[in-house]
Amino acid sequence: MSTPTLAPTGSATGSGVGWALRDAGAMAGRNLRRLTRQPEQIVFNLVSPIMFVLLFRYVFGGAISGLQGLNYVNYLIPGIAVQTVLFSAGTTGFALADDMQKGFIKRLRSLPMARSAVFGGRVASDTVINAFGLVVLILTGFAVGFRPASFLGLVLAALLLLLFALAVSLGYALIGLTVRSPEAVNAATFPIIFPLTFASSAFVPVQTMPDWLQGFATHQPVSVVINAARSLILGDTATAEQRQILLGGSDTGSLVLQSLAWTLGIGLLFGILCTRRYRRLDR
Amino acid sequence: MNRPAVLAEDLVKTFGKDIRALDGVSLEVQPGTVLGLLGPNGAGKTTTVDILTTLLLPDSGRAEVAGVDVLRDPAAVRRSIGLAGQYAAVDENLTGAENLTLVGRLNHLPTGESKARARELLIRFELDDAGDRTTKTYSGGMRRRLDLAAALVARPPVLFLDEPTTGLDPRSRIELWSVIEDLVREGTTLLLTTQYLEEADRLADRISVVDHGKVIAEGTSAELKSRLGGAMVEVRLADAEEAARLVEPLSTAGSGPATAEDEFVRVPASDGTGTLAEVVRRLDLEGVKARGLQLREPSLDDVFLSLTGHAAEHEGSPATETAAAGRGRKG
Repeated sequence: MSTPTLAPTGSATGSGVGWALRDAGAMAGRNLRRLTRQPEQIVFNLVSPIMFVLLFRYVFGGAISGLQGLNYVNYLIPGIAVQTVLFSAGTTGFALADDMQKGFIKRLRSLPMARSAVFGGRVASDTVINAFGLVVLILTGFAVGFRPASFLGLVLAALLLLLFALAVSLGYALIGLTVRSPEAVNAATFPIIFPLTFASSAFVPVQTMPDWLQGFATHQPVSVVINAARSLILGDTATAEQRQILLGGSDTGSLVLQSLAWTLGIGLLFGILCTRRYRRLDR
Repeated sequence: MNRPAVLAEDLVKTFGKDIRALDGVSLEVQPGTVLGLLGPNGAGKTTTVDILTTLLLPDSGRAEVAGVDVLRDPAAVRRSIGLAGQYAAVDENLTGAENLTLVGRLNHLPTGESKARARELLIRFELDDAGDRTTKTYSGGMRRRLDLAAALVARPPVLFLDEPTTGLDPRSRIELWSVIEDLVREGTTLLLTTQYLEEADRLADRISVVDHGKVIAEGTSAELKSRLGGAMVEVRLADAEEAARLVEPLSTAGSGPATAEDEFVRVPASDGTGTLAEVVRRLDLEGVKARGLQLREPSLDDVFLSLTGHAAEHEGSPATETAAAGRGRKG
């Protein structure tokens, strides 16, 4: 190739929803492909929830009280599901910070691509990864005795969790864009996610916690989402009393609405902040 | 004169309160030519390129690339430019071919064409054997070549290379130079930043010397050198004191007044060896033994020294500039 071609060949414009989707698709494909080159990360993402299931099912499970007669494994799996998607939400921020630090975002910003595709692609690929993680978790659950009341309830619960994870991952995206170092994102993941998952109804009924902690543990968003997922999964196998005490309410619909409200609120807040942050990279 | 392919007028950019990265940078690059933006770390080279490639907004001033106003229609500018930077911004977990194909798709080339173009560029940059390996297995020189290839995927008429050889070993640097020379021969307009005087001398048609956010000199390499009045005799003495003492006896030896700096005395020598012989005679008369004596053409180093009062920092740490820029941009 020695013929000089001076007209740019990337002729199509970068605006329009069609291009935005195509570009996001290309970015998501890239994100997923690079993950297959880091098998250690996949293993970590899949093995740790399995370990948690086994740990709580067989080691701690027998000592957990206040379950009102509910089978602990059915109580546990929705909790670990939330924990799984929340921890992997941190990878959204990690990956963005990594791309910033290595100059990859700089290259992307010099291309005639839709600017939204950096987030769109990230969110899409991370949702795929999360969905995959949930499938593995649920299969593991089945193997140790997890029995949801209905398949539909299980699927709806999984969708609810994926949406919640998406909203939270935007918060991590904001951290990633701001601190610009993957290590710093990691350092930020732990102190935020740890109390939110453990001081929640994920592993033990909040009624067994000290009074001062119960208020927070009952009303914080992670518990709300766990309770909604649990309610969908337990369906009519849970008694009214179990629902009232363990799920903080008897009405599945209202629990789901509350979690959707949290999801929407968190997603909108961080979505707007992220977009602003990304736009302001040129200042 | 043609309409310039790149035009910057009085660009000013400050980061936070104190860092005035650009203090009124103006430059132009004619189509099909190479402009070398030469300066030490922190001079404002990367900031200038960032503004011209739509990555950064200036506080004031205007710029045009490929005839398009950078501030009014950045999207159109992005369709006409290629950018390769000092960080070799390729994805280390993708193969060389995948990196180029991704850039093709994000340039909105059809998928088939993206793949074909990727192959073509890999062959051209002698990366075809490594094209299906992840780039984390590449050497520094290979990564830079791939990064350059990525900037060329959409055949942009204007190319920006920000310190393309910083951190490379001498052999990789020379290889990359010859690749860049081929590109220029094919008619690409190139704006190249560098802190290597040798690099600007070899690749650039014209050179803009920047320091502290300002263009302090502009011209061809020969023009810049001729500002120093051609060749000179440089005498190295025992110490600065002896040098100062010898300025007077040596000052009528050459074609202009002699100057002393540290333990050196420099005598302008437009007639070359005649001056050299005269300097030797006078040193003899003074009974001084010189530690070194040479007749030399001015280098761009001399140009830089005379323009800025400090030497160009060859091996200054790139970290300094990055840290300063990073700090500034968070504000």
